[in-house]
Amino acid sequence: MTKLSRRNVLKLAAASSVLLTAGKGMVSKALAGSIELAQGGRDFNPDTGKERKAVPTVCYSCVTRDPKIAFVEDGRIVKIEGQPNSIRSLGKICSKGQAGINQVYFPDRILYPLKRAGKRGDGKYKKISWDEALTELAGRMKKLRDEGHPENLMYHYGRAKGSSDKLPKTVFMGTYGSGTISGHTSICEGGKWVGQEFTWGSHYDNWDFDNTDYVLNFGSSVLEAHTNHIPTAQRLIKAKVERNVPFITFDVRLSYTASKSTKWEPVKPGTDLAVILAMCNVIMRDNLYKREAFTYIRATENVNAPADEKIAALKTHLAQYTPEWAQEISGVPAANITKYAREFAKAKAAVVISYRGLVAHYNGTDGERAAQMLGMITGNIDNPGGRCKAISASWKYPKGPKVKPKSKKLKITNGSLSAFPNHGECQSVLKMIKDGSHGRPDIYLWYCYNPVYVNGECQENIDILSDEKLMPFTVTSNIVYDESSRLADLILPDTSYLERWDWDANVSPTQIPEWEFRQPAVEPLGECRNFGDILCDLANRMDMPLGFNSMEEFVKQSCEMTPVIKDLPGGGFEYMKKHGVYHDPQAKPSFFGYKKEVKADDLQKEGVILDEALGVYWNWTKSKAKDEAEAKTLGYDKTHSSYKGYVGQKFGDKVLKGFKPDKVNKTGYFELYSTILKDKGFAPMPSWKPIPEHVNLAKNQLTLTTYKVPVQIHSRSTHCKWLTEMFHDNPAWINSQTAASLGIKDGDMVKLTSEIGEVSIKAYVNEMIVPGAIAISFHLGRTESGRYASGKTSPMGSDNDPDLKLKWWDTYGVHPNWLIANSPDPISGQHRWMDQVVTVSKA
Amino acid sequence: MLRKSQLKHSTEEEVMTINTTNDRREMLRVTGAALAAAGLASVSLMQPKEAQAAAVSTPQWVMIMDLRLCTGCRACTVACKAEYDVPLGVFNTVIKQVVTGKYPDTKRDFIPRRCNHCEGTEKIGDITVPPCVKACPEFPKDRRIFTTADGKTIRYRGGATYKRPDGLILIDNDACTGCGKCIDACPYGARSYNQRKLSGKDKTKNAIVKCSSCVHRLDEGITPACVNTCAPGARIFGDLNDPNSQVAKLAKEFNLLENRDKTTMKPEEKTMPNIFYIDPDGVLANYSYKKEDKLTEYRDIVE
Repeated sequence: MTKLSRRNVLKLAAASSVLLTAGKGMVSKALAGSIELAQGGRDFNPDTGKERKAVPTVCYSCVTRDPKIAFVEDGRIVKIEGQPNSIRSLGKICSKGQAGINQVYFPDRILYPLKRAGKRGDGKYKKISWDEALTELAGRMKKLRDEGHPENLMYHYGRAKGSSDKLPKTVFMGTYGSGTISGHTSICEGGKWVGQEFTWGSHYDNWDFDNTDYVLNFGSSVLEAHTNHIPTAQRLIKAKVERNVPFITFDVRLSYTASKSTKWEPVKPGTDLAVILAMCNVIMRDNLYKREAFTYIRATENVNAPADEKIAALKTHLAQYTPEWAQEISGVPAANITKYAREFAKAKAAVVISYRGLVAHYNGTDGERAAQMLGMITGNIDNPGGRCKAISASWKYPKGPKVKPKSKKLKITNGSLSAFPNHGECQSVLKMIKDGSHGRPDIYLWYCYNPVYVNGECQENIDILSDEKLMPFTVTSNIVYDESSRLADLILPDTSYLERWDWDANVSPTQIPEWEFRQPAVEPLGECRNFGDILCDLANRMDMPLGFNSMEEFVKQSCEMTPVIKDLPGGGFEYMKKHGVYHDPQAKPSFFGYKKEVKADDLQKEGVILDEALGVYWNWTKSKAKDEAEAKTLGYDKTHSSYKGYVGQKFGDKVLKGFKPDKVNKTGYFELYSTILKDKGFAPMPSWKPIPEHVNLAKNQLTLTTYKVPVQIHSRSTHCKWLTEMFHDNPAWINSQTAASLGIKDGDMVKLTSEIGEVSIKAYVNEMIVPGAIAISFHLGRTESGRYASGKTSPMGSDNDPDLKLKWWDTYGVHPNWLIANSPDPISGQHRWMDQVVTVSKA
Repeated sequence: MLRKSQLKHSTEEEVMTINTTNDRREMLRVTGAALAAAGLASVSLMQPKEAQAAAVSTPQWVMIMDLRLCTGCRACTVACKAEYDVPLGVFNTVIKQVVTGKYPDTKRDFIPRRCNHCEGTEKIGDITVPPCVKACPEFPKDRRIFTTADGKTIRYRGGATYKRPDGLILIDNDACTGCGKCIDACPYGARSYNQRKLSGKDKTKNAIVKCSSCVHRLDEGITPACVNTCAPGARIFGDLNDPNSQVAKLAKEFNLLENRDKTTMKPEEKTMPNIFYIDPDGVLANYSYKKEDKLTEYRDIVE
């Protein structure tokens, strides 16, 4: 509490005594009457009342990236709030965003470059200088490049976004000449994207809850964990409560989202697809579809089929999927399936939402295609209140030297088991390296990623990363000493997101783009340096300057190049530093993009040709066709990468933008019938496929479901004390009937066995999960990441957090990935997080 | 804490403009002589309602928790942790989960909790106080003045735990001996010892902490930290005495004041909470806890 100095007290006393005797109030800000409290934007020290310095920035806890304000006091971030001017988040952030402070100040943070000083994996490190670290790394990289094998530098990144995605992946790796790059999307939601790429072309759907009248949810925990969490969650719950919008959730578990829904419909794992197909059948059978939508739908081999023929074809295809049939498979009552289908189709605007509960399965790509179908046949695609194509701000950025080497690449990033790994096959990368038949990287560099922990088959990941013959040199940039950092030969201490520069953007729930800007709220702790800065330094050391020397310069140049931003008052960079976000106040929400006509001029451009059979206008020069003659002979659908030249689709006598492809050579129709899938031996229309491993399970074999809780980020938050204090134990959920049949009581230790491994875990017997399933959350079971996460001190961990003495938990939970096979969906390569069968017994 | 000592000498100007309680207390302590000279040393301890009768209007700060909207995200919990640098083991606001029913008709609900800032029904002198204030051996102590927005003043008494005329129940650590009687007295378990802070008067004891409704923000016209971050808008905060406020409108719409048995926590304790719940599904009725569990009640665990 404030102690007033003697001088100050006397000053106050003199003033107040006069005021008191005069019977008047003192100067103060006490509030009464119709005072409207401000929502936020300012904060004060509760003890001293001193106002805290506000720095606009953007969250980077999860991929949502809510704009926010960091409040700083004496050079330390003490509080974080949402950015009140953001049209995406409306000034709100979640628990993880609030705990961003912990991402900076956790006592086990890596603060210095560390070099391995023992056997790989035994945790011995020595502190080295930046110069020593970068001299060694640049030396190794330069050698590979100069010997003509840049592809032997592999860059594997996780959820790097915005400028922290482009600088390393596009600019640095492009200038260096290696295309051996893998993301992590297949262990996230890649199957959802591939399902969308086959139907409406590009990926990412926005759900327009502000304007919807009905919500069907297949396996999304949108209220607790989603890639656009805060922007969408608040709009959904308000739609439900304030406008009585029905909101039906199909889920294996009574998730937070399911519990706040109008109705939770428990569904057996991997059977949502059956429910959606039956709903589509009801809608077609009962003639509740929107006839106009069939103008834009492809439902037959013949692209030019009239609407009636397409409608008939879809009716015929779906007729087999009756609600009664779906009930048998999914456990959802047929009457409810029929009811929801009719309500959905009749609603003025309705939205079908989906996530990993639907897509992280063997049949997940068809699950997403079916969800797209449900939206499209009822006219609920890219419309107000429906499932819309994502709108996000785009940035221009400096791309490095004009002349770049032709990129070389090891073919190890797409696995070998899926037909359309449009977003790679992250979980197969280490297996491919072990296999070796497509080469092995000499340097494995990972960022924003924890390969040991976030893929399935943890033990194999450890074995491969530990093997110096398979992985000669391992290096990461990180803030935390996690399970994978432990296997790095060189650890470069990164800045937390509150100590760095970035431009950024994510999908807007209002269909109006918002530009976002991250800037350091405080100086980096210790000797931490941003990964982007390090890459600039490495590039200079290898005599391949990128045209900028730091992430700050990269971001500044981007601000000066980006059309909407560069002319903002005071200049783009200064404007964004001051305001943190920008959107065009005149902008109108974007809907029905597919109905826009292509300009006649665009059809006359050099290289644009018409594939008459398909009605697609495309620019062959952007494809891999050798010449126009070859392009015309092969046609749009058979030319490699023809989709890159897509211009428009003929619908009758008009040429419209249609559903523009991305990644596959689909037409501009909304494809419910895919010849591309058919050619690879898959059903051309969304069709039922049971999960092979789920057929004929024994009584003690349960299906493992994984999930996220609202207070942890997937793998990047257990070092945050305020989050782990609330969630540090994750017993396995088992339905009471299932538990009784196996003789398991609440709190019993149970043994779970799969073909991959075995874990022991406490049983949480409850009424919140479908019989036959067992659910274990992600986040926990950390073996590293510091004391709050695992009880283990990281190398060079400090004791400078007084809360260390008050830590009251000594359980750290169990990680399900030790049991889960790295098995992809055969279409998309999506990791099948929800399909693993485990044998359960009392431990 | 480091932060406090660094700021010790830097707030002279701010102190003048903030209606924080200890500024007033410090001030009044030294102006005792002036008060006595003006014949004002013995003043009545007016309550908000009494103040109104005297044509001095204060706000009556209330919070309404809309259980239909709360999604259990715990942003409020962490916002509060950060705002006050609350130590591990202590929570000033939490979300409690209530699970009822048998599969597949199971229900899972969330109840946000924090100090109820109770009106109280027991008297000390002329004023009505909640159990924590009643139990405080260091109340009533110093004389204080509350200044309303229209410049009127209300006299009231401070203490280690005391009630401000706008209804806030506050702690003045400088006056606190850390005896813990308020912790035991609170029927809601809302108070805890702060293991990283000592009590003002007895350095062998720890300070006591609880929700202050972010009085330091309120007095600057900013909503509390938990309200600021609540994405669904489940926490609605405002002045019940302002008929145009959202809380007043909601109180009317949902009969929150007339129906305290259903809209407040533990009505049988007759504490008259200033936290109300919009609870059409009767979730509160399914939520029970024992008084002796109070610390675990305020320890948040996510299932």
